[in-house]
Amino acid sequence: MSFTALGAAIAVLTGLGAGIGIGIATGKATEAVARQPEAANQITKTLILGMALSEATAIYGLVVSILIMFVVKG
Amino acid sequence: MSNQNVTEAENSHQGNAAEAVAGIDPDGLSALEAVATSHEASTGAADHSEGGISEHLDHAVTVREVFQIPVGNSTIPITETVVVSWVIMAVLIIVAKIFTKKLETFPGKVQNFIEAVVDGINSLCKDILGHHWKHFSAYFGTVILFLGIANTIALLEIPWLKPPTKNINVTAALAIMTILLVLGSQIRFKKVSGMIKSWFEPNPIMFPFHLMDYIIRPLSLCLRLFGNIFGAFIMMELVIIASQKLLLPPIFSLYFDIFDGLLQAFVFVFLSMLYVGEAIE
Repeated sequence: MSFTALGAAIAVLTGLGAGIGIGIATGKATEAVARQPEAANQITKTLILGMALSEATAIYGLVVSILIMFVVKG
Repeated sequence: MSNQNVTEAENSHQGNAAEAVAGIDPDGLSALEAVATSHEASTGAADHSEGGISEHLDHAVTVREVFQIPVGNSTIPITETVVVSWVIMAVLIIVAKIFTKKLETFPGKVQNFIEAVVDGINSLCKDILGHHWKHFSAYFGTVILFLGIANTIALLEIPWLKPPTKNINVTAALAIMTILLVLGSQIRFKKVSGMIKSWFEPNPIMFPFHLMDYIIRPLSLCLRLFGNIFGAFIMMELVIIASQKLLLPPIFSLYFDIFDGLLQAFVFVFLSMLYVGEAIE
């Protein structure tokens, strides 16, 4: 069990990249809205799209760790 | 096997200890722990030991079979996911029937709200799909309403109403429907020749990547929705265990159930629209 848990924990480290990526994207979006408040709608939509795509890596990690926890089960 | 027996023991409120002990697999928990788990679960409090939490989670994420439909020699198993989906569909259909019965030129409060929802979906479609929006807005509206309710249904706190999207089969089916819609609309609006031509744009090297899109896009749609909802579901279970149902669950539920659920419903439909829009442009 202990090694299974360790493997799941390592798999979920992919969240690191997604966190950094979404942070950068949101920061840039804030700058963009500050510079051009009238384009806020379009920027928000693009931001959500970008967040969804960069979040995918974290979700793959999560899915792999869920698989390890509940399917492999050591 | 051990899971099933623990479940049974939990169901009968004064869990028969002897039954639980008899059903424990040798590789599972020790008999003593299992009795403690089933007893504590039956009194409403969760076990704090490590085995208790993993048993609890295992029990929470298991998709149980409700009944079977016999077809010829074999049977079709109907799981609780399917039943919950049916309930959501029934609610949506009934609500739609009731609220569109008496439509008036000068709308009341309810009709105003319904019109705002429909108008929002339509304008989103118009933004992304251009002048073909009318063919797609009904489908995307249905999906976003279904997903919106399905993702947040855990708020009702009814034990058998778990979000159906935490089952990967539901999200896989929705993702396959999206990619079939992309293929269908490509054939409908660009004809087969235009579809094949679009695979070789901007240059023939891109051909394998265009084909890979048809597999990777539904896969990522499916896994994104499933991962988010399943992750949120497990987080909520852990929060409920950790806080003993005191104070914390509603706060976390605001993020995990409402915000994340609605955002993921929107993201799923938004990405589907983008794929369709790209296919027919």
